[in-house]
Amino acid sequence: MGTMGLALPWKARISSMPRERGTRVEPSEHFAGGPSPAVGDARSEDAALAAACRSGDLRAYDRLYTLHGARMKNLARNVLGNPSDAEDAVQETFLKVQRSIASFRGHSSFVTWTYRILINTCYDARRSRLRKKEVANDDSEETPRPEPRAPGAHPSLRMALERALAKLTEHQRDVFLLYEVEGFRHAEIAGMLEMTETASKNTLFQAKKNLRLMLEPPRGSARETR
Amino acid sequence: MQVSCNHRDRIFEDGTLAEWAALEAHAATCPLCAEEVRAWKSLSVAAGELRDYSDSPSFWPRIERALAEEAARNPRRAERKGWFSFLPSLSPAWPAALAGALVLMLTLSAARIYLRRPVNGRGTGDQSLLKSKALKEVESAETVYQRSIDKLAAEARPQLESPATPLLANYHEKLFVLDSAIAELRAQAGMNPSNAQLRYQLLAMYQEKQHALEEVLETKRQ
Repeated sequence: MGTMGLALPWKARISSMPRERGTRVEPSEHFAGGPSPAVGDARSEDAALAAACRSGDLRAYDRLYTLHGARMKNLARNVLGNPSDAEDAVQETFLKVQRSIASFRGHSSFVTWTYRILINTCYDARRSRLRKKEVANDDSEETPRPEPRAPGAHPSLRMALERALAKLTEHQRDVFLLYEVEGFRHAEIAGMLEMTETASKNTLFQAKKNLRLMLEPPRGSARETR
Repeated sequence: MQVSCNHRDRIFEDGTLAEWAALEAHAATCPLCAEEVRAWKSLSVAAGELRDYSDSPSFWPRIERALAEEAARNPRRAERKGWFSFLPSLSPAWPAALAGALVLMLTLSAARIYLRRPVNGRGTGDQSLLKSKALKEVESAETVYQRSIDKLAAEARPQLESPATPLLANYHEKLFVLDSAIAELRAQAGMNPSNAQLRYQLLAMYQEKQHALEEVLETKRQ
């Protein structure tokens, strides 16, 4: 495993389960202290998983699914907008990992690499859907959208958030989903989206500012609706 | 630590734990900051609405079936990749070292063949050295093969020059390594054209390049 050189610091390694954070406003990157023993475990588990997948052992893919499948599917669903496309994207990601594991260079963690493939697969699916939409000039079937808001009804928080997220730039939406929904750290997101940590922090800040403007109407207009 | 309303956005973007604590303390006496902190936190809470990790029992079996089918469909590809899997995992300093090692290996092989050659023209001659007629045929076939691969490379170039995915970036690097090795081998073959061993090595490199390019084009079709 001498070739599994690491370009990302180990704090960029991805934990197998999303963190329980509640209101996550305190940046986790500022916690003091060096790498914990758990970081070493994560590193060896990541390398072992990559090696097992490289050897073609299907149980390794099963393990990858057990550790990350739910989070991968949730991320894909939030990017693509529906569970069916999300499942297709996750399945395609596993196939791409299997096809290209021999060319995995170990410059990031195996799991970061897998999520990067997932995100690119989602981008491809989204682009392909847009192309189809352009050809058909009818998005009623290809692009499932949030249900139209009934006049006078209060949309659920989820729907309101989905609607607002759809208005963000692609990067802002992806960083928000990865950080706030999936619980990744900025160092991890930087590895997945091929940006710097600072850019990830700034993009999240812009995303939240925009969301806030969209989700929290000015007080004057709120009073008018009552 | 003292913070004011002016520090709020910077703390939202990249504040330390201590700065957050100071902002919360400031917000206790500043209604505007209190409202902003509340709204900021509420976005994190709302994000939880988009989290649904419910299991779908039929999903993994579906993926597993697809993986097994893919593995059964492409056993040769997997085998081939296994052989050359070390190539893309090398750091950028390695291609030169690899090419150097190949050249050294080929030089030693050539020297061994040279030293073992019949000195008085008797015997059947060294089978690893190509006779002039065979050599012409090999060179002509090699030129045709190389042109075909160049055509493939031209077709794949747009994808490789601006790779849209990490996978394509890896192929780009792999092809770079192969091209370096091919260039070295060709230089050696130019100096020692009758060496069949060299030709075999070169052929193997060309074949690997061809397969890599085919896989790049395959990703384009997908």
